[in-house]
Amino acid sequence: MSDNRIEGYARGLFEIARAEGTLDVVEDELFRFARSFESSDSLRSALTDEQIPPAKRQAIIEDLLGGKASATTTQLVAMVVGSGRGRDLPAIVNNLVARASSVKHQEVAEVRTAVALTADQQARLGAALVKATGKQVNLKVVVDPSVLGGIVATVGDTVIDGSVRTRIDQLKSRL
Amino acid sequence: MSVLSIIAFAHRIAEETPVLDKDGHVTTHSWILPETAEIIYGGISSLLIFFMLFKFGAPAIKKSFAARTEKIQKELDAAAADKSAAATEAATIRQAKGDIEGERARLLADAATQAAAVLEDGRVRLAAEVVDLEAKGVTDIASAQGRVGDELRAEIARLSSAAVDHVVTGSLDDATHQELIENFINRVGAGS
Repeated sequence: MSDNRIEGYARGLFEIARAEGTLDVVEDELFRFARSFESSDSLRSALTDEQIPPAKRQAIIEDLLGGKASATTTQLVAMVVGSGRGRDLPAIVNNLVARASSVKHQEVAEVRTAVALTADQQARLGAALVKATGKQVNLKVVVDPSVLGGIVATVGDTVIDGSVRTRIDQLKSRL
Repeated sequence: MSVLSIIAFAHRIAEETPVLDKDGHVTTHSWILPETAEIIYGGISSLLIFFMLFKFGAPAIKKSFAARTEKIQKELDAAAADKSAAATEAATIRQAKGDIEGERARLLADAATQAAAVLEDGRVRLAAEVVDLEAKGVTDIASAQGRVGDELRAEIARLSSAAVDHVVTGSLDDATHQELIENFINRVGAGS
């Protein structure tokens, strides 16, 4: 999909969420769903298979997110997948999150951890990143078992890697 | 005495009366000699024949002898020529034989030279091949040592990696996760 189309979809989702007054929740839920979409081959193939009717793909979305995410998030994802743009969902969501962060004068801080962070840890981590980068950050936490342990934080072009995975890789490299 | 007087003498004798024996048979006057006339006529006839032979037969005989002599001479000449040719041929053969002997000797000498050269080349080539093989062997051994070393190091690295993964993931309990997270937050917050 072209950048203009991705941007158009992202702007549309952004305006809908903002109009519904659930932008923070929706962008957070969309961000986490996009990361799950990227990491799961079976989910990605199911939602991008043109042989599966759009209604069935939307039903899959309903099954996955129904009751776990807000109605707006579920409907927006269903709309994107139903229109055959499932393959571009991560790009659309990233654009939406960047747009939302920009509106709030924030930089997206993608944080990957092996286990979920508590609210207190998220708050302290956000403050630490603000202090470290000098920017207001829109913290997006992704639970990624491949990290093994520790945290990998990406703020713009800056990557702060404190993951066990990277340390093991460095050790293997030396071996 | 001319021939005519001889003939006349013979004729007169022939007119002589024959001698008869007591039975009336004519007999010769000698038990061995013919009658005189017969002798005369026979002699004349013999002379005549000898003359005819001398007159007409002698040239033919001479001619025949001359031809035979010429033929024999030709045969002698031919034999001499053949002898000369044979001698020449024999000389040629002897020369050829000598040439063959020389050629044989030359060929044997060439063969011996070539054999010596081939032998020398073979020795040189074998020596070079031995040197090459030794060098290749040394290189192969070094390569094998390096390869085995690399494989050993790779295997150690693989086993170490697997061991690290196993040990680290096995030791990552919830408390360790929380400690790692807290350390990261503190480090990032302190690193500004």
